[in-house]
Amino acid sequence: MFKKSLILGLISGILAGIASLVYAQIYNSALGTDFSTIAKPSGIIITCIISGLLAATGFYFSTRWFKHTGEIIFNLSFTILSFITIMGPFAAKLPLTMEMPELFPGLTVPMHFFPVLAWLTLKPLLFRPEKTPFYPA
Amino acid sequence: MKKLSLFLATLPALAAVFAFTSAQVWTIKETYSIQFSNSDVNGIFKKFTGSIDFDEANLATSKFNISIDVASINTGNGLQNKHAKGEEWFDAAKYPYIKYTSSKIEKTATGFKVSGQLEMKGVKKDLSFPFTFVKNGNGGTFNAEFSVNKNEYKVGKSGDSVGEIIKLKISIPVKK
Repeated sequence: MFKKSLILGLISGILAGIASLVYAQIYNSALGTDFSTIAKPSGIIITCIISGLLAATGFYFSTRWFKHTGEIIFNLSFTILSFITIMGPFAAKLPLTMEMPELFPGLTVPMHFFPVLAWLTLKPLLFRPEKTPFYPA
Repeated sequence: MKKLSLFLATLPALAAVFAFTSAQVWTIKETYSIQFSNSDVNGIFKKFTGSIDFDEANLATSKFNISIDVASINTGNGLQNKHAKGEEWFDAAKYPYIKYTSSKIEKTATGFKVSGQLEMKGVKKDLSFPFTFVKNGNGGTFNAEFSVNKNEYKVGKSGDSVGEIIKLKISIPVKK
């Protein structure tokens, strides 16, 4: 179970990292910004993978401690935590040589939701929902 | 007629003397920096224009006329930039420039001292500060460090979280 969680965390982290890089590429070319010295591609990938692995650990323990509601609690917590972290880009103080710091949150805030999106997207593939028997009336 | 001829004859000589005594007009290089800081906030103004007429040997005709573009403020944070340009702070829409016009430049033991008028957010006040000028070939660099009380210019709210004394550090490289 824990190994399966970690695999899901790793894959969803990599996927979120790739999605973030694609988004950054589109954002930078559309708006003419360049925050690559602040949000480095390697840093983005590593952060997403760490986020995925932490989520895997959280998922394992929450489903272990709360047998029936663990998944609900975990999904809710992961989404709320992702939402809370968006305060970081708004509060970030960039180097003074960096142009247009007001566009930095627009780049990084969506990235904060990619790990949770990747997790929720991939989870049904690895943890198939239990089939409930259908009894026609 | 004789007097007129004499006057006309002395005109070129007068012009030459005037040209010799007027201060050197310097061209401001793009690598200038205008930094501000205190314990709570720091940043730069990215754009400024102005004229610098300065001659160490002829301070009487030397003068500075500087205009800083308030909208070019950069604190490194988008929200802070927006706040700084807002009505409570610099009110960039109503007062787009911070202006300084010198009236007198004096030699001091460590460099020079300029006296003049600073206009910020519509408030004009006399301001004197020391500066240095380091010659370098065909150009040179003006450096100055001084402090301004933001409350005197109605910038920000009195007693707000940002300290009232703002330190300014200016470096203006110039060429002939």
